[in-house]
Amino acid sequence: MSGLLEVDNLKVTIGGQDVVRDSSFAVDAGDTLGIVGESGSGKSMTALAVMGLLPRGARASGSVRFDGQELLGRTDRQLRALRGDAVSMIFQDPLSSLNPYYTVGLQIEETYLAHRGGKRAVARRLAVDALAEVGIPEPQERRRHFPHQFSGGQRQRIMIAMALICGPKLLIADEPTTALDVTVQAQVLKLLARLQAETGTGLLFISHDLAVISQIAHRVVVMRDGEQVEYATTEEAFCAPKHPYTRALLEAIPRIDEVS
Amino acid sequence: MPRYIAGRLLGLVCILLAICFFTFAIFFWLSPDPALAVCGKTCTPLRISEIRQALGLGQPFVTQFWDYVRGIFAGRDYGSGADLVHCSAPCLGYSFQSSQNVWQMITQRLPVTVTVAAGAAVLWLLIGIIAGVISGVREGTWWDRAAMFVTLGGASIPSYVLALVLQFVLVVKLQWLPFPGNVGFLPDPGLWFESYLMPWIVLALGYACLYARLTRSNVIDTMSENFMRTARAKGLPPGLILRRHALRPALTPVVTIFGMDFAGLLGGALIVETVFGLNGLGQLTEQAIASNDQPVIMGVTLLAAAFTVIGNLVVDILYTYLDPRVRITAS
Repeated sequence: MSGLLEVDNLKVTIGGQDVVRDSSFAVDAGDTLGIVGESGSGKSMTALAVMGLLPRGARASGSVRFDGQELLGRTDRQLRALRGDAVSMIFQDPLSSLNPYYTVGLQIEETYLAHRGGKRAVARRLAVDALAEVGIPEPQERRRHFPHQFSGGQRQRIMIAMALICGPKLLIADEPTTALDVTVQAQVLKLLARLQAETGTGLLFISHDLAVISQIAHRVVVMRDGEQVEYATTEEAFCAPKHPYTRALLEAIPRIDEVS
Repeated sequence: MPRYIAGRLLGLVCILLAICFFTFAIFFWLSPDPALAVCGKTCTPLRISEIRQALGLGQPFVTQFWDYVRGIFAGRDYGSGADLVHCSAPCLGYSFQSSQNVWQMITQRLPVTVTVAAGAAVLWLLIGIIAGVISGVREGTWWDRAAMFVTLGGASIPSYVLALVLQFVLVVKLQWLPFPGNVGFLPDPGLWFESYLMPWIVLALGYACLYARLTRSNVIDTMSENFMRTARAKGLPPGLILRRHALRPALTPVVTIFGMDFAGLLGGALIVETVFGLNGLGQLTEQAIASNDQPVIMGVTLLAAAFTVIGNLVVDILYTYLDPRVRITAS
């Protein structure tokens, strides 16, 4: 397998406590890997370890290879060149993840300018295109607006536009639809799937929601208390789970025909 | 926006009228007879009744208050015949103790107070914000601990103690600075700067310490915001993250506090002006209180109140430009 992202025996420790133990998985170009688990299971820490954005005091060991190159142990300066460019990330709460003091246009442009440099006007045109691409109406006008002037779904679309502005090879999405209404959730998932099909980006999709994971992921990692308990194709994981915890998770989903 | 400002200005006038009313009421009912204070040592009952007549003190409360308010807008006359004194608008009263128009007394001393306040403000903003930002960014380092220790101490030193110590060390012992005095900017700006330097330092120290602590905690709060994580995830250089994404949210609340503090100081830095013998509004207030010169106390109180409410309005308007989430909806 020519893995775009290969994680081997990843371990994350905070204050002497293991929050991720021995996690191994791979994401290929054009592939979607879902990481599913309860809150506190170590999903987000896994993603942050890949980005090199672990909180102060956290240590990661093992191996994280991106495009064949080891990321762990790299300096912040080296990682910075990757972040937002080859590897991007979107977060759970788009309102607080966008800076309320600046227009969304500027926040998209600055990502491009930090990595590619060049003229502001070029970045501005690309930002307008990106906003149009993710389905923001009247992007030429809307780029001058501030985050609070958009709806929740639109804000997450803006985050996606920002993450994709440099054409990343890998997109990490940490619970990107959790804060959204169900109908908006479906639209954002559709958008992610379409953009991925168009660009061939690898997608690492983190969610606690099995239904969402089943819709978007090709393969699934199930995590519990920092432990990776299942790593299989989505079909296997949902139809023939090996680990009892995965079975328990699936059985915990309320089903309409069982409600009396 | 113009409608909002007009509404606020109207409210401002109402607040000032209310303050005017209450101060006037306090002096009317609670203070000793102003005629006695004016009369001096060689006082006869006849003289007192003359003064009462001239000041209109025999009039009922409402009439006197009305005369005072009308005087602010239209000017008024005190006394009659040969003793007649005209006080032109804006008439904040007439000090019979010093035979001076209160408005003129205030405007004469305002430049000194503005100089003291503005110089100190520049100093405390520079020191407070720079120290606070460094401490906030390097939370928990020896610099942060040392700075917070020093600022706690600095904020606790009473300004008159600091003033006397500085004066003793810098003027008497080392002779680096002249005694502070009422020096004009011209003809010698250097001397002007040296005479105001100590008042500035003394006044600025307490504020600088408070602003450093405020800025530090704002920076720390902002650093833990989700949008800071986004900025790092976008691969922005640390300098840009700090300047653009952290400082603006962290410093915007400082503007509010600064507006209030500065407006308050324009009413007179009482202790600093008195200790250094600077001829500003603070010293005027102190002298007026000591000699129970009621028209002056009234005037200074009103002016200080006006500065405070106007400062508030300016901060509110400024905020709509600084924080895009704050938008004015005319209601």
